[in-house]
Amino acid sequence: MNPRLIGSLVQKDLSIFFRNRFFAIITVLGIIAYLVVYFAMPGAVDDTLEIGIYSPVSIPAFAKLDEEGLEFVVVSSEEQLRQAVIDGEFIAGISLPPDTLTHLIAGKRPGVNVFFGADAPPEIKDAVVVVIQELGYAATGQTLDIDVSEEVLGLDLGGTPLPPRDRLRPLLAVMLIMVETMGLATLISAEIERRTINALLVTPATVADVFIAKGIAGISLAFGQAALFMAIVGGLSQQPLVVLTALLLGAILVIAAGFIIGAVAKDMLSVLAWSLPVIIILIIPSLAIAFPGSVTGWVEALPTHYLVDTVHRASNFGSGWGDVWQNLLILAGFDLALAWTGVAVLRRRMR
Amino acid sequence: MNQAITAEELTYRYDNLLAVDHISFSVAEGEILGFLGPNGAGKTTTVKMLTGQIKPKEGRAYLLGMDITRNVEKVQGQLGICFEVTNLYEQMTAVENLRLFARLFGVHPFDAEALLERVGLAGRGKDRVETYSKGMKQRLMVARSILNRPKVLFLDEPTAGLDPTSSEAIRNIILEERERGATVFLTTHDMMEADKLSHRVAFMNQGKIVALDTPHNLKQKYGKRALKAKVLNTNGGLEDREVVMDSPETPRAVQELFSREKVVTIHSEEATLEDIFINITGRGLVE
Repeated sequence: MNPRLIGSLVQKDLSIFFRNRFFAIITVLGIIAYLVVYFAMPGAVDDTLEIGIYSPVSIPAFAKLDEEGLEFVVVSSEEQLRQAVIDGEFIAGISLPPDTLTHLIAGKRPGVNVFFGADAPPEIKDAVVVVIQELGYAATGQTLDIDVSEEVLGLDLGGTPLPPRDRLRPLLAVMLIMVETMGLATLISAEIERRTINALLVTPATVADVFIAKGIAGISLAFGQAALFMAIVGGLSQQPLVVLTALLLGAILVIAAGFIIGAVAKDMLSVLAWSLPVIIILIIPSLAIAFPGSVTGWVEALPTHYLVDTVHRASNFGSGWGDVWQNLLILAGFDLALAWTGVAVLRRRMR
Repeated sequence: MNQAITAEELTYRYDNLLAVDHISFSVAEGEILGFLGPNGAGKTTTVKMLTGQIKPKEGRAYLLGMDITRNVEKVQGQLGICFEVTNLYEQMTAVENLRLFARLFGVHPFDAEALLERVGLAGRGKDRVETYSKGMKQRLMVARSILNRPKVLFLDEPTAGLDPTSSEAIRNIILEERERGATVFLTTHDMMEADKLSHRVAFMNQGKIVALDTPHNLKQKYGKRALKAKVLNTNGGLEDREVVMDSPETPRAVQELFSREKVVTIHSEEATLEDIFINITGRGLVE
């Protein structure tokens, strides 16, 4: 391995990459477009929060409930209420036992179960308790003690409700990384098809030098764009090292995929044909973050799940190394397996 | 004289196809060897083995005294290779192409413009290669192959399909490199070019070397000299006549030609390398 030779090859690859108008344009426009999409999304959560209520008996006071910014929706069962909270339809759910009204009128302390979504903020929890007290007041005309039993449904991220743009952030970052699969694959397939690789390999540069140079060029493009995007949109304000590590591992994943596609593709069109399905599949886990409930648990089989989950949790909820190390480890494992496969396939093609 | 290239029983198979069949030869330092043969004869495969691009299935190749398979990187640093197929970075300029390879070979300082001038591309260095004609690209390929002042220069069909001006420019560079002391391994199926440039030529056919000698010796051994004449026939048309030279019967045959026929034109003709190749193999160089 010769750093001087590798440096020359990286410089050459980056130069050729940006002279390909298609990739130069999608690289620059990609960042701009994603920034536009990000900043066009609402920067704050919807002012009106929906709270679900289940009560087996009719309580006249419900009709009088009117809190600014809160909307109450009655559901028909506690199970339905729990599921709606898990699915994110309600920020919280209040389940009243059948004897609530009787207890209230009798001046006894009724017990109330309250369910919260994973990312319900503390102020919402406080607000819901106040609402329940008001309910008691509206029903009896006097302040009453109520036993409130709280239950957080799903993984408690203990953070704030996410503005749509922040939910979208991991998706956009991952898309920026993924697109570089095509860029690198095109560089590799062109190198093989035009036989410039033969000219390189009769110089003192070795196959390893060429692989490393391609890897560095690809990682620089993929990681560089994603890191730049995250920096601009504030995605590095929390746990920047964790986020950057995840993005770097994601970039390596993409480079490995680029090696494989570059080895099997014959030209730019076949690179596109191979890349698009791969990119679409790998982006699916990001949709689970951007649009909760849209994707089921099978996405955990995809390596990018561990990338977007880490970026989401670290950048949006401040999760540290202790929370995401398993994700990073699994992602690194996928990287190793794919990189090994990519190098093997490419080496075979070059022969 | 030291040998720059030595091949011992070199053999290569592509699956069931025996492309190169146990060939042995050597090329002295400073010599130009013309490697002639029709397409598919095994010339390019031989070059690939000699330059370390592929490993021989059998036999050994020594370049500058080193076994190429064991010293690939060390040997390749002293080789210059001009490939049969144009393989330049077309999105880059000529200067950028040359500078990239100069860095890879560790050539410093490097004057790209001077080299471009030498191959007749002065003033075009900052143009992207994709805008070049075939001849210009080929000249740039040759420039790239000599930028590290190689001790052994491999040129694989360097003038194939080029216009006479570009071909002549490349031939001049080959001669300049020989003057510098480089050994040149010239693969071609242009017998005129090989005849003009080579100290010796090797004929390759179906993976084997069927003849290897100086062009003069090959012509002496396999060729025949003749007098070619055009004579008037009784209808006023022209007919060809041939008198074989270097035969005891030649003086009498010439005398009879002039006494019996009305000779319009007459000239001597020497066998070409192509004639000799056909004579040896029964097939032409260009098929």
